[in-house]
Amino acid sequence: MSVLMLAVCMGFYYWFCRLRFGYTFSSMLLQPVVIGVFVGLLTGNMPLAMKIGAGLQLVYLGVTSTPGGNVPSDPALAGCIAIPLGVMSNMTPEVAIALAIPFGVLGVFVDQLRRSTNAVWVHMADRYAEKADTKGILRAAFLYPAIAGLVIRFPIVFAIDFFGVTAVEKLIAVLPQWLMHSFEIMGGILPALGFAITLSVIGKKSLIPFFITGFFAVMYLKLDTMAVAIFATCVALLLGLFQLKEEAI
Amino acid sequence: MGEQTQVKKLNKKDITKSMWIYYAGAELSNSYERLQSLVFCASMTPVLKKLYDTDEELSAALKRHLVFFNTEGIFGAIIQGIAISMEEQKANGENVTDEAITGIKTGLMGPIAGMGDAIVWAAIMPIIISIFLPFASSGSALGGILPLILYPAITIAIAYWLIHNGYTLGKKSVVSLLHGGKMKSIIFTANVIGLTMMGALSASYVTISTPLKFGFSSGTQIVVQDILNTVAPGLLPLAAVFIIYFYLRKKGPYYNRILLTVVAVSVITSLLGIL
Repeated sequence: MSVLMLAVCMGFYYWFCRLRFGYTFSSMLLQPVVIGVFVGLLTGNMPLAMKIGAGLQLVYLGVTSTPGGNVPSDPALAGCIAIPLGVMSNMTPEVAIALAIPFGVLGVFVDQLRRSTNAVWVHMADRYAEKADTKGILRAAFLYPAIAGLVIRFPIVFAIDFFGVTAVEKLIAVLPQWLMHSFEIMGGILPALGFAITLSVIGKKSLIPFFITGFFAVMYLKLDTMAVAIFATCVALLLGLFQLKEEAI
Repeated sequence: MGEQTQVKKLNKKDITKSMWIYYAGAELSNSYERLQSLVFCASMTPVLKKLYDTDEELSAALKRHLVFFNTEGIFGAIIQGIAISMEEQKANGENVTDEAITGIKTGLMGPIAGMGDAIVWAAIMPIIISIFLPFASSGSALGGILPLILYPAITIAIAYWLIHNGYTLGKKSVVSLLHGGKMKSIIFTANVIGLTMMGALSASYVTISTPLKFGFSSGTQIVVQDILNTVAPGLLPLAAVFIIYFYLRKKGPYYNRILLTVVAVSVITSLLGIL
């Protein structure tokens, strides 16, 4: 697929997933692992797209669990730029992740812009309510914000993806070794941020031993993730059982 | 006044339709000014159209639901169910005031959002993603496709159950939800699974090791990483997670500041050859 077509597709994808059509559906659509599937289909390089997607996902894993929907960082913009650029210029996942970080921050401002323009449609709906125009209210809730979103979001991703591929290729060629190695270090540390955020959101201090149990279950016992999920579920259910018993007494 | 004799009754389909509209647009029209008020009003339109015949009544009802509203979009379905049952009573001539409906909505949106965030966003989502993450890391599309199917399916099922329960049980359903020990134990269970999973993933995906070595003239060499490993494997990754965790707890959610620090630390340690 040509870079032009790829950039167009990514622009539309960013618009659509950030439209937030379908509350939990869209929030999964904008996760890097899912963007990776889309990029993999477009470029034909599914393995690399998924690997970069998985690496990015780790950085943004905790962001999903932030209460109140105030995104501190935008995984969708980071993913829609870093995954296609990474695949097209054949980057290692670590380098692609480092590239993504600034765009994740930029995405926050784009979202603020959207939420501010959305206020216009509420006032429009006030007038429709006055006239008991239910169709008008549905338009104000769905159609108008969708059109505004396309104007705000499509150009950003399209432009960066379209012009970015050649620029990034040139850049990678001239980067010194120590800088490339610092990307690798970054790629190793950044997932810690994702886990720390999740930990601070769901982790009461008293529950931290569960985190440590999971950590060393992998380190010492070499369990895979699915095994840990199964054991964790059983332990959690059993603990719930004992807890209820105690309350009954 | 013959119309009073005919009781207006909503069926299951009307309520499910309402759920779908709210699900589809809960975040779509979200604005800083009134957050989810617009979509809540939009989701009530099929119900209100059926309940109120005159334009004046319909207009008043629509305006009633355009006031400030914000909660978690899956658990919010229970508030919708209650609001629908109250509107139905009102349309059938019972004395349900505007204030009662708005009061219930605004009174419930806080606690319900807390529950929804804890279960839908802080537990179900990261758990589902992390279970299938190994597929993605090994380059398989399943790591993205399975979460994309499972997460909406599970959460829509929850919303469906809550809106119909909210409608049939009315205000009672939330009281039992809020005060029953059941919800507490569900959140506890979800948190235990979530935390254990996060620990397991940290072990696989946070990779920090040091190439530092100290050579002595006698020929013996001290490899720092080997010493760390004999204490316990994975000390550096574990330390990284907890340093960031304690920073977040002490200072608050300054994610971008942490990001910048990580970038700076990576560059410096790379130059110095520490990591």
